[in-house]
Amino acid sequence: MPDIVTATDLTRRYGEGVAAVDALAGVTVAFPAGALTAIMGPSGSGKSTLMHCLAGLDTPTSGSVTLDGVELAGLSDKALTELRRDRVGFVFQAFNLLPVLTAEENITLPLTLAGRKPDQAWLDQLIETVNLTDRRTHRPAELSGGQQQRVAVARALVHKPAVVFADEPTGNLDSKSSGEILTLLRRSVDDLGQTVIMVTHDAKAAAIADRLLVLADGRVVHDGDAGDADQVFQVMREVVA
Amino acid sequence: MTSLTLRSLASRKLRTALTSIAIILGVAMISGTFVLTDTINKSFDDIFQAGYEGVDVAVSPKTVEGLEGDTGPVAEPLPQSLVARVAAVDGVAVAEGSVTGQVSIRGKDGDAVTQGGAPNFAASVMDERFTPFRYTEGREPGADGEVALDAKTAKDQGFALGDKVGIVGEEGAKRYTLVGVAKYGDVDSLAGASFALMTVAETQRITGRVGQVDEIDVAAEEGVSPEELKGRVATALEGEPVAVRTGQESADKQSSDLQEQLGFLRTALLVFGGIAVFVGAFVIYNTFSITVAQRTRELALLRTLGASRRQVLGGVALEAFLIGLFASVVGMLGGLLLAPALTGLFSALGFDLPTGGNVVAARTIIVALLVGTIVTVLASLAPAVRATRVAPIAAMREGLSEGDGRHRRPYFATFLLVAGVGLLLAGLFGGGSGGQAASLLGLGAAVVFLAVALLSPRLVRPLAAGIGAPLQRLFGLSGLLARENATRNPARTAVTAAALMIGVALVAFVSIFAAGLQGSVEASVDRAFTGDITVLNTDGFSPIPEGVQPAIGEIPGVASSSAFRFAESRVRGVSGTVAVIGVDPEVAGSYTATWKDGDDQLLRTLGDDGVLINNGTAVGDAKDVGDTLDVLTPTGKRVTLTVRGVLDEGDFDLLGGGMVLSTAVITKEFGVRQPALLSVAFDDSRPKEQTRKAVDDMLAAQFPNVEAQDREELKESQSEQIGQLLALIYALLALSVIVSLFGIVNTLALSVFERTRELGMLRAIGTTKRQVRRIVRLEAVITSLIGASLGVVLGVLFALLVSRPLEEEGFVLTFPIATLLVLLVLSALAGIVAAIMPARRAAKLDVLEALAYE
Repeated sequence: MPDIVTATDLTRRYGEGVAAVDALAGVTVAFPAGALTAIMGPSGSGKSTLMHCLAGLDTPTSGSVTLDGVELAGLSDKALTELRRDRVGFVFQAFNLLPVLTAEENITLPLTLAGRKPDQAWLDQLIETVNLTDRRTHRPAELSGGQQQRVAVARALVHKPAVVFADEPTGNLDSKSSGEILTLLRRSVDDLGQTVIMVTHDAKAAAIADRLLVLADGRVVHDGDAGDADQVFQVMREVVA
Repeated sequence: MTSLTLRSLASRKLRTALTSIAIILGVAMISGTFVLTDTINKSFDDIFQAGYEGVDVAVSPKTVEGLEGDTGPVAEPLPQSLVARVAAVDGVAVAEGSVTGQVSIRGKDGDAVTQGGAPNFAASVMDERFTPFRYTEGREPGADGEVALDAKTAKDQGFALGDKVGIVGEEGAKRYTLVGVAKYGDVDSLAGASFALMTVAETQRITGRVGQVDEIDVAAEEGVSPEELKGRVATALEGEPVAVRTGQESADKQSSDLQEQLGFLRTALLVFGGIAVFVGAFVIYNTFSITVAQRTRELALLRTLGASRRQVLGGVALEAFLIGLFASVVGMLGGLLLAPALTGLFSALGFDLPTGGNVVAARTIIVALLVGTIVTVLASLAPAVRATRVAPIAAMREGLSEGDGRHRRPYFATFLLVAGVGLLLAGLFGGGSGGQAASLLGLGAAVVFLAVALLSPRLVRPLAAGIGAPLQRLFGLSGLLARENATRNPARTAVTAAALMIGVALVAFVSIFAAGLQGSVEASVDRAFTGDITVLNTDGFSPIPEGVQPAIGEIPGVASSSAFRFAESRVRGVSGTVAVIGVDPEVAGSYTATWKDGDDQLLRTLGDDGVLINNGTAVGDAKDVGDTLDVLTPTGKRVTLTVRGVLDEGDFDLLGGGMVLSTAVITKEFGVRQPALLSVAFDDSRPKEQTRKAVDDMLAAQFPNVEAQDREELKESQSEQIGQLLALIYALLALSVIVSLFGIVNTLALSVFERTRELGMLRAIGTTKRQVRRIVRLEAVITSLIGASLGVVLGVLFALLVSRPLEEEGFVLTFPIATLLVLLVLSALAGIVAAIMPARRAAKLDVLEALAYE
């Protein structure tokens, strides 16, 4: 499988002089297509910064990122925005749906923003997959947290992006809803061939991944198979302690 | 609590500034008005004082209080023989008759000398101790062909001693030799007015007062006080129609007369300032409502930590007080800048006002500070009370809410609406005096605005849907989001829109009313002006010299000319004044009146005691032919007139404004000599174009400040005058509209701030900055169009209501559809302008920070 996202010698420094903090201190990593990768690490390890840089939300201090064959360095804000719109899907911890739009409108938002019409059959299939067929016209306020996050997952998949970034997608959910979301993400990789990169601190979430990446102090300290939750725990204990 | 308030204000400087502007503009208008009118008063006071320096006693024609014309007191001048009688009084050192009258001084190019509309006078030379003029060059005119000019006019026109100066008076144009240049006291000119000083005899001739004087100035002998002398002179002139005053009293009277005339200007300008402040109150209310909602957590935290409701209320009220005080101080200072700007605005539109240095009275400062501060605090009261209702538990909850969101039944708003309409009706049909009616109308309109603002949250959704639908079709998602955002908080959008609604409603009302006025005047001209031309002053309202009518009569091809003269009178049994129109017997030849009882023949036979009254405007008890009227004229004479016929003219017809009598009566008893206008009919002895050309040529040569207009030209010039006034009102209302635009800026900026996280998400998943800007911009367009459409509807309703009682008078209500559409388009554009800053802010949000924003 070719690599969808690659990062080469990535650093990200916040602040200047003595107060400077290196959130990323030289990270080189590649993400092959059709895999679910979990990124873990303690608070301040740089896992969120890595994801933001990979997704073009943040600009690295040095190093390079390519996404779906595009070098992100030097892209204008407009080009980055369009890249995100067309080739990246996002799932956030806090759902981040538009309260004024219905579930279906929220799902098709990336397409609407690009001025494209959704493929109706695909949309129906997607909505059925996330089990929201009877909630299409509901507003976010009328949905439970789990349902809202399923809308967010569908929104991330609707335009068949090259890669989906999920930032603590289960952080605000109970365990039943968490399970549903994780199953959805797993199925998107298995059934649809999606590439998913997920930042999490939940070992159970990481356990569904094909690969586990652990960061500490801005460096990759573990890169290997995820295994089950216990194995993830063990890896974490070893590399972080 | 106090230091917290101060710190939170300091931390939000931009918002504080934006909020303040809402009040600053209105306060600036109020203080600017005071400064302007005080300054005008002061400069005239100085002039009047200087004018009576050295005068111990002044004898002037008796005038009746309240019957002065628009251009000063109307009075039959005094016979010159009185001067000798005054001079003979014991204790009089010198008595001298003076003559002053309006003329037209011509510059080197032959055009009228205008300091932007300030008048030109001819004045007789006077004894050194009386005259305020001091010669700086040359000497006093001593012969009838000589003239001296004020220093400013001489300088501006480039006249040097020995030059010929053309001056147009009652008898037509004449050329004089310049022999002197004089200052008025210490200054080059009297508030911009131009003066031509001449011998007494020549001044009498050029102003049409041969054998007469306007005033007799008296100096006392050593040891005789002005008061004492005044008594002696009054005794000597017992029974004559004169007023005897000391010099000081005369100066004071002129000042107070002027103040009265300026009173209208002041009130009118204050009204516009008041409207701006009223609109500002909406903006303040809205800003505080939003900030209180956004600070719910902070306020709840304070309550959790033990702050009492009173402390929370105090904190918000203190914030309002500080903003109000700050805005008032800035606004008051802004008024100093606005006063010259107002003068500029007036002169740009052809209304000139003299000015000196700014006069800032203590009253100006107090009123400005009080109005600004009190309005701000009052407007913030409801949000402040709402702040006290924040439950401590709210500190723990997610999300923000504004108000309780429930729609309470609109009992109060409905009550206000009914009360407002009631006030309007009382103002229109209650029969109160002009001032009372206007106050009632103003108050009624304000109450209606409030009521509609309170009711409008219910209208926001349907209106936004109506306005948003085409936007959505045009701009897709941006349109949809903009519409949804606009309706997300109907109360907020409603109040923001209501602020704009007020300005738009007034503009719409005024433009509809003006269109109706123009239409009515045109209809009246078409119907009644059956002559070929109308002759009037080039400024459109001043009277014309007496010599014009005979001169026109001599032109071959002129069949008849007839003069109209206007005056005011008091009639026994009638409160207030009654307008009087004097007409020539030939008037029927060029003017067609509408009659209820009588015909045009009656106009020929009014004689010395006949009068025509108008149907509908009953004058006292007189209603029918044969009734008599007891009339007091401006010169203090009493005449008894008999009703000969009843006209049926409307308010917009020339003979509709009051009662009609003969030229003989109005010149002799009312002291009005100069016609306001002539209506002239041509005969067929030669082509009418030739006759018209002969009239034009004669006027250009002899009476350059008089012009002839045919019916079309007359309609055009009348429309133009209404248009000018309209432009002035638009300019003054623009202030309120600007205030409401700042309201839109403020609301949008706060809404953008509130939706930071949402905007961050939109940007993260691929919304371009352009799209974000467009969403904000379209929301502004929707908000402003909601306000504008409500405003236009209200304006139309007001116009319908106010024109009802005028319809009988021939008022033709017309709707200037194009103007109203332009108004809507302009409002939408204004919304776009208001959105520039908030849209840019929204687009500039850093995506990462926005997402992390709590």
